[in-house]
Amino acid sequence: MLKVIFTKRDVLLGAAGQLSRKCCRMGNCLKMSTSDDISLLRGSESMSVSGQDVNSEMFASDPGGGPIFQHESIQQVFYPTPSVSRPASTEDEQVNIKKAKRMGLIQHLPVGTYDGSAKKTQERECDICMVEFCVDEAVRYLPCMHIYHLHCIDDWLMRSLTCPRCLEPVDAALLTSYETT
Amino acid sequence: MSSLPRRIIKETQRLMQEPVPGINAIPDENNARYFHVIVTGPNDSPFEGGVFKLELFLPEDYPMSAPKVRFITKIYHPNIDRLGRICLDVLKDKWSPALQIRTILLSIQALLSAPNPDDPLANDVAELWKVNEAEAIRNAREWTQKYAVED
Repeated sequence: MLKVIFTKRDVLLGAAGQLSRKCCRMGNCLKMSTSDDISLLRGSESMSVSGQDVNSEMFASDPGGGPIFQHESIQQVFYPTPSVSRPASTEDEQVNIKKAKRMGLIQHLPVGTYDGSAKKTQERECDICMVEFCVDEAVRYLPCMHIYHLHCIDDWLMRSLTCPRCLEPVDAALLTSYETT
Repeated sequence: MSSLPRRIIKETQRLMQEPVPGINAIPDENNARYFHVIVTGPNDSPFEGGVFKLELFLPEDYPMSAPKVRFITKIYHPNIDRLGRICLDVLKDKWSPALQIRTILLSIQALLSAPNPDDPLANDVAELWKVNEAEAIRNAREWTQKYAVED
């Protein structure tokens, strides 16, 4: 019995992998190296997955310098520090800066792993790709507590900072604190 | 041409398995992103008895952007213009990837039941709908009989 379950899961994981590759062709996906993917997963493993805990843990300051900070250092490629005087910026640059800011912002939304506890069919699959979540798969939590595959929701949040399911805006306080800096 | 995303395959299967009453969407045999759609006019609307043909296309970045939908059958409606283009928020700025072909077509069916002349696309139709609703509804019935009822 157990063996059957694992086989099915492997198949599903394979499908998810294919999707993530496809997703990157859209151009808006976060370009992350494989090592970062792993570090993100490791960081999220320590988080409790069910209920409100994820939110509170995420928003609490992280003295250890978790995976969030690693991502910021990658984004510096696009994102000059305020003290650096930039040459007259082209429109492309402005777009890149906007994108980088948005990416940085999205990275502050909590990531967890799917624990397989969802009862309703609607909550067992990602509303964006319509593929079922696998247990221990990385999912992002929005402030309204709706969850999506990491790569699916990040692609959408680059376009609109709202929850696809309930249209709730992604935490306004979070937005102002990062978009004004 | 890239392969078809799992989501489009799933949506198509579900549309076939659990069809919505009054709505029929069939993918084109040569293009799985293009759907031939039929929406029947809702009861108690001036479009009752009509069978309206539409076309629906899923763009490359669907579901990150909305499907493109257009009426092929002529229709007298304040929010649908002469070219069949539809003024509907969920097809524009209120699109969300949690919406589906099914929900979009249901919204279009609902728009037939509840025309909104305050947010017009066909200006002359909307104007008449506001100043003389009875006449506008009469026109809509006539057009339905003329263009949307099979002989």
